[in-house]
Amino acid sequence: MSNRIGKKPGEWINREATLKFSYEGKDFTAYEGDTISSALWAAGERVLGRSFKYHRPRGVLSSANHDVNVMMTDGIDTNMRGDVVAVRDGMKLEAVNTVGGVKADRNRFVDSISPLLPVGFYYKAFHTPRRFFPFWEKMIRKAAGLGIVNFNFPRVLKRKTTTHCDLLVIGAGPAGLTAALVGADAGLEVTLVDENQYAGGSLTYDRAGASEAASKLSELIGRVKTHQGISLHTASYAAGYYTDHLIPIVGENGITKVRAKAVIVATGVFEQPPVFRYNDLPGVMLGSSAQRLIHRYAVKPFHTGIVVTANHHGYRVALDLLQAGVKVSALIDMRELGEVSVLEEDVVRKGVVVHKGCCVYEALPSKGQMGVAGAVICTYDEATNQANPSNSFTLECDGIAMSAGWAPAAALLYQAGTQMRYDDTTQQFVPAKLPQGVFTAGKVNGAFALEQRLQDGERAGNEVLRYLGKSAPEVNVERHAGSSPSHPYPIVPHPKAKNFVDFDEDIQVKDFVNAAKEGFDNIELMKRFTTVGMGPSQGKHSNMNAIRILGKIRGLPVEKIGTTTARPFFHPTPIGHLAGRGFHPHRLTPMHGWHEEAGAEFTEVGAWLRAAYYHKPDISKQEVIQEEALSVRQSVGIIDGGSLGKFEVHCAEAAEYLERFYAGKFASQAVGETRYALMLDESGVVVDDGVVARLAQDVFYITVSTSNAAAVYREMQRWLQIWKLQIGLINVTGAYGLINVAGPNARAVVGKLAKHSLADSDLPKGGIRETEIAGIAVRLVRVGFVSNLAYEIHVPAGSAVHVWNALMDAGANFGIRPFGTDAQRLLRLEMGNHLVGHDTDGLTNPYEIGAEWAISMDKPFFVGQRSLKIIAKRPVKKRLVHFMLEEGFSGEMPFECNLVMIQDEIKGRVTSISFTRSANRVIGFAYVDPKDVDPGSKFQIRTDSGAIVVATVVKAPFVKLERGA
Amino acid sequence: MPLRLLKFAFSKNHPAPRFFRALEQPKKSYDVVIIGGGGHGLAAAYYLAKDHGITNVAVLERGYIGGGNTGRNTTIVRSNYLTPEGVNFYDASVKIYEGLSEELDLNLFYSNRGHFTLAHTESAMRTMRWRAEVNKHVGVESRVVGPDEIAKACPQLDLSCSGHAPILGALYHAPGSIARHDGVAWGYARGADRQGAEIFQNTEVTGIDVQSGKVAGVHTSRGYIATKKVLSAVAGFTPRVTKMVDLDTPIVIHPLQACVTEPMKPWLNSILVSGSLHVYVSQSSRGELVMGSSLDPYEVHSTRSSLDFVEGLTSHMLDMFPFLSNVKIVRQWAGMADMTPDFAPIMGKTPVEGFYLDAGWGTWGFKATPISGKTMAETIANDRAPEMIHSFRLSRFEDYELTGEKGAASVGH
Amino acid sequence: MKLLHCPMNGTRPISEFVFGGEFRDMPDPEASTDKEWAAYVHNRNGAPGLKKEWWYHGPSGTWFIAERNTLTEEVLRTYLFGQETAA
Repeated sequence: MSNRIGKKPGEWINREATLKFSYEGKDFTAYEGDTISSALWAAGERVLGRSFKYHRPRGVLSSANHDVNVMMTDGIDTNMRGDVVAVRDGMKLEAVNTVGGVKADRNRFVDSISPLLPVGFYYKAFHTPRRFFPFWEKMIRKAAGLGIVNFNFPRVLKRKTTTHCDLLVIGAGPAGLTAALVGADAGLEVTLVDENQYAGGSLTYDRAGASEAASKLSELIGRVKTHQGISLHTASYAAGYYTDHLIPIVGENGITKVRAKAVIVATGVFEQPPVFRYNDLPGVMLGSSAQRLIHRYAVKPFHTGIVVTANHHGYRVALDLLQAGVKVSALIDMRELGEVSVLEEDVVRKGVVVHKGCCVYEALPSKGQMGVAGAVICTYDEATNQANPSNSFTLECDGIAMSAGWAPAAALLYQAGTQMRYDDTTQQFVPAKLPQGVFTAGKVNGAFALEQRLQDGERAGNEVLRYLGKSAPEVNVERHAGSSPSHPYPIVPHPKAKNFVDFDEDIQVKDFVNAAKEGFDNIELMKRFTTVGMGPSQGKHSNMNAIRILGKIRGLPVEKIGTTTARPFFHPTPIGHLAGRGFHPHRLTPMHGWHEEAGAEFTEVGAWLRAAYYHKPDISKQEVIQEEALSVRQSVGIIDGGSLGKFEVHCAEAAEYLERFYAGKFASQAVGETRYALMLDESGVVVDDGVVARLAQDVFYITVSTSNAAAVYREMQRWLQIWKLQIGLINVTGAYGLINVAGPNARAVVGKLAKHSLADSDLPKGGIRETEIAGIAVRLVRVGFVSNLAYEIHVPAGSAVHVWNALMDAGANFGIRPFGTDAQRLLRLEMGNHLVGHDTDGLTNPYEIGAEWAISMDKPFFVGQRSLKIIAKRPVKKRLVHFMLEEGFSGEMPFECNLVMIQDEIKGRVTSISFTRSANRVIGFAYVDPKDVDPGSKFQIRTDSGAIVVATVVKAPFVKLERGA
Repeated sequence: MPLRLLKFAFSKNHPAPRFFRALEQPKKSYDVVIIGGGGHGLAAAYYLAKDHGITNVAVLERGYIGGGNTGRNTTIVRSNYLTPEGVNFYDASVKIYEGLSEELDLNLFYSNRGHFTLAHTESAMRTMRWRAEVNKHVGVESRVVGPDEIAKACPQLDLSCSGHAPILGALYHAPGSIARHDGVAWGYARGADRQGAEIFQNTEVTGIDVQSGKVAGVHTSRGYIATKKVLSAVAGFTPRVTKMVDLDTPIVIHPLQACVTEPMKPWLNSILVSGSLHVYVSQSSRGELVMGSSLDPYEVHSTRSSLDFVEGLTSHMLDMFPFLSNVKIVRQWAGMADMTPDFAPIMGKTPVEGFYLDAGWGTWGFKATPISGKTMAETIANDRAPEMIHSFRLSRFEDYELTGEKGAASVGH
Repeated sequence: MKLLHCPMNGTRPISEFVFGGEFRDMPDPEASTDKEWAAYVHNRNGAPGLKKEWWYHGPSGTWFIAERNTLTEEVLRTYLFGQETAA
């Protein structure tokens, strides 16, 4: 650990715990608390990654959680960020996106052919001739991308929690800590988050070789940590701002969705690199990065360095470097006037030579560009932003610290809808108009001096108190005074380029100039053409310089250029975190356990799981379905229909309500009778069908299809409100179980358990009565959907299993057999009953399915009636018919949705088709040309392979109707 | 390396001209004014010039070109629709796309990947067959495939979808492709500009001057422009523009969101869509997974993002690809989709003479960019819509002749 | 996730609600022409602005009206249908 220095107060590493890991096949040690980058840098490694496009060697840049040139794989995970991920014992790391290792990367040749790859080069070539493009595309795709995904990576289930608080403070720097304390002292419930391992923000690293920041930090942290009203979350970032103050906080173990009454964004600023040739060499880093290495990880950033600056901060960096034992051979200040403050005196007193009005013209690479060997310094004209290399000198160094300015970490503010303005005194975008309940403090708000930031935190905290209805003082914050923290144009032109603006995407100054030449001269187009800011760091270190460069190109002030839109996420967020546990809720009928034991295969129908069929050993699914259906035809079967929607309509206007809601007639319906009910939407399309039973003069009981039940009930409720009829509408879907016993022996089975007679005269087809089955009060309906003789037993859910078991016992002698939805579909087909949603689609009108009998146009009104009057004037384009294939059909079996053709014209399609053992035929439903609807008509179905199958229109039902015992 | 890049290496000045002129002030009048500088509007300008010799055309863009849904969509191009009219129309678009990089001399990265619409239910399988049969009938390569073929094309896919929604099969559509969306707008812009059309960015239309039922001009943030023909090609802004001419349409605006991961080495070649899981995904040439889901459930005229969207989408992505747990989402965004009741566009003439509508593109606008530009140019030039877009006419709603695309979208699952 | 205030159940996340479209008065079916009726059935006021909308709180089965700005997503007020003046 050659570059590790003595213990720093408040350092983030634990020197008691040593960890072993390897990088690119070489063994290293680290301390607990080290990031991958800090450990490798401490060990003297300089090349931590290769850039995305040119495969240039890269080291640390910001150490601020967005150094995306340093991405690792440990063989399990990939794209692990060096400055974010902590070293774990035994890690075996390699840099991603190299061929042959990070040092020998064979793709480094791309850097040497970079003149062939001008901005937007991939738009300009590879597409002619067309036939070669797939070759080039393959090459380009292979070259692109970062890490290799591990297909065996386990699915990770992260927890998600939701919390509510009065105040969410994002960023635990001096402003955020102060604001949180103000809020909590006044009794607010405060949540305080910070993305770093420890709270403190710049107080943890920006110390200027002194102890003031450290003592302020321990004072604030001491108060925050012991405060009952503050819940502090470190190593957790606010990933985005969503409507109504919803902010997901992402930590290692999951996401906390925070809903806050007020939010203070105190996220600080990102340091921005000045742009000069070879500013990307390993060893060239941001000043704040050098400070982070020193104070958080006790790592010496380099041995002999220079500081290039354009603000006050560079001098603080120099003092920190000196304190860490770095030889600072020069401080290059791009400003003509330099820094006129005690800081300058301090730096000079400590032996640092300050060159004002100068810039780093270029960094000099060491062998293989693996590091810095020196820097060429020359004068810089701030008025013209031109360097004068004729007047230059060279300094040897192994590192350069850069401090030229900042960009606000304002993504969350933008997402919340904040209007920003460009502030000339700080040369920074600052909030101009904040949305309701959103506040800001600290550097992101343009407050730079420590005192000023503390004040600004206090101001914001008090503003929140007033916003939440408490009385609180107005705090005045002094505006920024003195020289600007950011240089308005820290860009040094160089004829040989390689002066990088965006390190993610390897974008140089000339790329912007050339993009503008080609017409991409507004910020959004420039972003899209150059891809600036589109890399994994989303432009945290590059967008601001891009805006400045474009302003220069167009001769416009920065404010006129504007910014690109900030989108979530603030940091890239793992899919596993966002997905959480992924719940898949289902509704189950009371008999679900019984079906499971009986070997049911379940299928999803709407929100429900229903038994599709019951497995039998050594028999195929198709065979089982035929058997189940056959048992209904020949004796008796039983099916659980508990998932059907069941509604009750009560009171005097119930019939009137149903007359309006459904297409048929219900006013004339007799008590004890059921009627088919067709539901249309306002455009006359068939939406659902069901059965309406009249239990009493003023009580109706309705069953509707499972998958539509929720939507049907919803519409029922809405129309009820609009019509303002005096009825009671009750959803009893879950309250009742439903058992259907069907087949010639159904009466014998149900009759054994029924309190009342089931004779035709007592309960005719289509009748309903309230009776008892197996001692339980039920509603018993004589139905005919799947079988000529069948009973639906609507039984209170709690007693459904009891009744089901009793029926199974009673039916044992008849060989009663449960059947599932698959057999049910076949049985209804045999009976000639269409299924809405299966034999209809989103445009089907009643005339197309021959449902004229179910609509009463003579009623004063029903939903869809007015549209039907219009539709009725137009020719019907297709009609649903029953069909059969020839006896003993042995050709290619058509499938549902094979087309019905006349010559070369599509006339319709098959909607249902199946072989039925009962009729020993292939039967089905199809839409055909309206002229082909008469029984005996033939039509043509085109199969998958293109073969034509002739079908014959027949009259339903397809099976002989059994009389029943 | 292609030779055409050499000039960049050996030239001191960047040897590439502007894509389009930087124009500030429109003329007093034009033969045609196109509202909307997205792919559709620019393509219409391009084909007006190329096919019909009409070059006295202004394209007015409120923001920057391609900045609306052209630059926000997930770039899938396909023609596996349900109705013969729809399939024909989108197939014509695919055919133009296939040669478009050459025609515009701009590499649009039109990348033929093959497109699978996954079916997790019997009912979805039926719809797949319906589409396949209609596609085959029209001569488009689509077919129903089983899980084996899906697994062959995408071995990483968990066919059981973590046990929640086992894949029964898919509609495979061979021509399915992705492209670089920005390039399509830029290429058409350059092509239109070179033929004489004038493109004005940051130019907002504030009103349309209609006199005696006929278009007379447009009011803009850069002054009044006289014209007898106006094309509205503004996607999510359509209701605002139709309001200017008092035209009622069925269009409502719902946000459509998307997101993208950080880049990774190529592994996903196919384009996958799952209706049941509300996921569509492809891997871009940069290596990012580009993903989308269903529309937001309610009307909003903004491009804000929501957390629900990305939570739901990622959950379903993990059902399909459990190993993506630690792959990171970099960015999410949204566009405003102009939805129609039958999931088909509204194109052609309107009751206002000289006001042409290219709208209702919902979630399927990008793939139709070339053919919509071509057919709208023809409509404007002849003041008569070609047969190909007859079924997309605005009056179909009054006629109760909604397109059949609604059929498939509403079949119960 | 956005919040919405149900008049019966208070403020809940929007995932608990179903959007029911803009509230529109049905024209008299007898008095309106085919064209007018077709326009009622199919056309919508798609332009952004303050709209009266149907919303449904799923868990409790409550329909209500929300006055919402579709440009800003701001909800001005919510009330049960027919209780506009009481709200």
